[in-house]
Amino acid sequence: MEKILQIKDLSIFRKIISGDTQNIIENIDMDIFKNEIFCLIGESGSGKTTIALSILKLLPISFDIISGEILFEDKNIIKMNKEEMQKIRGKKISMIFQEPSAYLNPLMISGKQIEESIKENEPDKKSRVIKILKEVGLEEKHYFSYPHQLSGGMQQRIMIAMSIINHPLLLLADEPTTALDIITIHQIIHMLKELQKKYQMSILFITHDLSIGMEIADRIGIIYKGEIVEIFKPMEIENLSHPYSKKLFNSMIGRYKKGERIKITDEKNT
Amino acid sequence: MRKLIIKRLLHIIPLVIGMSFITFLMIRFSPGSPFTTLRMNPEISPATIAALEKSFGWNKPPIIQYLDWLKNICLLNFGISFTYHTPVLTLIKYRLKNTLCLALFSLSLSWILAIPLAVIAGYKENKFIDKVLSSIAYISISLPSFFVALLFVYFVSKTNVLPLGGTRSLFGANVTPYQHFADYLSHLLVPGLVLTFVNLGWIFRLMRNNFIDVYHSPYITTAWAKGLSTKKVLFRHAFKNAINPMLTILGLEIGSLLNGAALVEIICGWPGMGSLILHAVLSKDMYVVMGSLVISGVLLIIGNLIGDILLLLTDPRIKIS
Amino acid sequence: MRIFLQRLRRYSKLGYLSFIFLVIFYFIAFFADLFVPYNYTHQWLSKSFCPPTKIHFIGPKGHFHIRPFVYNYVIVNPALRTYKEDKTKKYPIFFFVKGPERKIFGIFKTDRYLFGVQKPAGIFLFGTDLYGRDLFSRLLYGARISLSISLIGVLFSFVFGLITGGIAGYYGGVIDYIIMRFTEILMVFPSFYLMLALRAAFPLSLSSVQVYFLIVLILSIIGWAGLARIIRGMVLSIKEEEYVLAAKSMGLSDFKIITSHIIPNTFSYTITALTISIPGYIIGEAALSLLGLGIQEPYPSWGNILSSTIGNLRVLTYDPWMLIPGFFIFFVLINFNFLGDVLRSVLDPKNW
Ligand SMILES: Nc1ncnc2c1ncn2[C@@H]1O[C@H](COP(=O)(O)OP(=O)(O)OP(=O)(O)O)[C@@H](O)[C@H]1O
Ligand SMILES: [Mg+2]
Repeated sequence: MEKILQIKDLSIFRKIISGDTQNIIENIDMDIFKNEIFCLIGESGSGKTTIALSILKLLPISFDIISGEILFEDKNIIKMNKEEMQKIRGKKISMIFQEPSAYLNPLMISGKQIEESIKENEPDKKSRVIKILKEVGLEEKHYFSYPHQLSGGMQQRIMIAMSIINHPLLLLADEPTTALDIITIHQIIHMLKELQKKYQMSILFITHDLSIGMEIADRIGIIYKGEIVEIFKPMEIENLSHPYSKKLFNSMIGRYKKGERIKITDEKNT
Repeated sequence: MRKLIIKRLLHIIPLVIGMSFITFLMIRFSPGSPFTTLRMNPEISPATIAALEKSFGWNKPPIIQYLDWLKNICLLNFGISFTYHTPVLTLIKYRLKNTLCLALFSLSLSWILAIPLAVIAGYKENKFIDKVLSSIAYISISLPSFFVALLFVYFVSKTNVLPLGGTRSLFGANVTPYQHFADYLSHLLVPGLVLTFVNLGWIFRLMRNNFIDVYHSPYITTAWAKGLSTKKVLFRHAFKNAINPMLTILGLEIGSLLNGAALVEIICGWPGMGSLILHAVLSKDMYVVMGSLVISGVLLIIGNLIGDILLLLTDPRIKIS
Repeated sequence: MRIFLQRLRRYSKLGYLSFIFLVIFYFIAFFADLFVPYNYTHQWLSKSFCPPTKIHFIGPKGHFHIRPFVYNYVIVNPALRTYKEDKTKKYPIFFFVKGPERKIFGIFKTDRYLFGVQKPAGIFLFGTDLYGRDLFSRLLYGARISLSISLIGVLFSFVFGLITGGIAGYYGGVIDYIIMRFTEILMVFPSFYLMLALRAAFPLSLSSVQVYFLIVLILSIIGWAGLARIIRGMVLSIKEEEYVLAAKSMGLSDFKIITSHIIPNTFSYTITALTISIPGYIIGEAALSLLGLGIQEPYPSWGNILSSTIGNLRVLTYDPWMLIPGFFIFFVLINFNFLGDVLRSVLDPKNW
């Protein structure tokens, strides 16, 4: 299979005010294939968002890429200048951010925010936006809604519409389902999966929930304290080798067990 | 939306009543009747004084007096100046025009200068240019307006580059309106530039901090991630969102400009409200003092209202709540 | 308090420096008597608007003198008030010189001054005013008046604001409504106009002590409204915090809760709010005195020293040293602003 993105030996530091540095990402190697959903799973603060941002070269100034390559279409993103990045961002690689309420401009109607992603001189921008709105399960009237007038799930759908409108080759979805209820989570996951098939995208799907990963991923990478400790396919889940990923797996199983037990006691009580 | 504006307008009524009441208390209970000075003036006949006293109901109980006074000021009758012997309103009208010209001149000039500089400084946060501009703003904020005025007057009197004092120097019938305007403007420059400098620092600082806050906010990252050009990110997203809260400031500015303008006017010899109220205080011309106070308060209320309404019109988040 | 200073020092050297500067400034102002070469009323009839005295180390023949000296200034043109140095006699500067007897703080008698020169020469570091009084001495005495008014004024507003804002925030309801509307009305007036109008409500000629307290009163009335609102806000936010709720449930009295929980927890915010508001009081006093409505002659304040330059281009043009008090005001204000900013960011939990 053809690789769409290759991350080789990537290390990222963060400068702290006192002059020290902190390792955020250490010597990461990972590839994403064409038409693949790659799921990155790790606990909070393990560096998942940092990886996604580094692919778009949008790391905060205090972050420094100190070594490694990020190859996209055989070109090193790290070495690219602003103009080259502008051609990639939003067109070939786009991103869905973790908290849509903060990542949408509060003073601009949603439709315009989606429309902005489309290239300047293309025709029929507005009808394209409305089409995509319907595709992500919203209505035409939401074109004119301000972000604060939408629910969290709807904001997330605006984010998704914004990121897929140019049919990117790679979609970085950074925990697109946190802070949503279970039903909405499943709707959004399925929608992403369908969109992926339809537009032949690759998705880097970031989450801290192993069960979601099991549901949609073609491959899963476990990240722990800035290092990728294990990469595997969902069906290989039973024979994990790294202690951390084993723990993660056990806690997932444990949660289901615990959930069952609670159910039983509840029934007894009633 | 309309409801909100009406609500704000209704909110003004108790403010104006409270304000006029306090003003009234200050006249009524200051030691000595405001007519004492008047009585000592041989030019004014006792009949006039009696008529005045009656028109302001000085011998009725205080509550009735207050209501009468309130009625009078609602009819824009602020009484008669004891020193100028003209209706207070006539005096204030002329002075107010000058003060508003001064305030508007410095308001526009300081915003025109401060906003772009603030954006540059905010964009180049902690770089050399930001440090230079921020230091100048710091100096501007820490210099009291009267001292800037004195320094500027000192400089102008040494170099004689600009006319000092008054509103015009060209007189006569053959002065064209254009010359008249240019003359007025040249007299406005000294107090106007002083007030601009004083105001500049605040606006710069607020806007710079706003811009920096906005520029580091997540939705700017989204804008970059969409592949927008630097120009679009800066203006369509960062600038627009940073300037928005400044609109409230625009309203509040009217108050601070009136404050700053008063002293600057007095020092630069610009015949505005500041020197009017000062001379009224010095000569115990109570109706002029109170008239100026009420008018300045009303201006401030209007300013705040303008700021609120502008924000209502531009910030969609307020409409809903 | 000590922790507060340590944190300040660690966070910003410059902010700490501002703090030290201000402490020194207030110290000098408080002990002005000890630092002046002349009394503030001491007039030199022949030296009206004499320029600042030059201090020399090199004699007319080119010799270097360890002890600095000055020349006597003699008037050249009485109409234009131009002076020149009389180079025939040197007057070395001595420390702890004898002068006219005076009282320090109105209690201790002494005839010594920190430094000075022999008469008829005088040492006027910042020149003299219309009556030939040493501007440097008047500035130091003036600092005492200007700075103390600002401190007392801010304390008055603060105590008053603490009581009213505390009551409004703690009890809420009707009291809260009334107090808040009242502060709103006060804040509707542009402060300068309100200040003048309040001043106009009192007789123009008052004794100096009366004027002093009148200014304090006026400034604290104006400053009170803002502080009361800030304090109310702080009380409101703290009232709902767990430790206060816990104290309440333990049955502590309102007074006890306010003094032992609410006030200590708002201490650092309060300090910041006070630091930020002091410049307003200094400017207010200066503005009133500048316009002749504040501190009256012969007592000096920074504002009334400056007042001789208003509407008097002659003084402004030929005797620019009369502007020096303005620089002092600027210096104090910039330090306060700086300290206020630093305190604000020190308090910001993001920066700990
Ligand atoms: N703006 C920031 N300032 C300081 N430290 C940061 C910042 N952003 C991230 N970090 C640090 O970088 C590390 C990695 O952060 P990152 O956001 O990549 O984690 P994450 O895996 O996305 O976590 P989460 O699941 O909570 O989103 C964290 O340990 C955090 O301490
Ligand atoms: Mg994250």
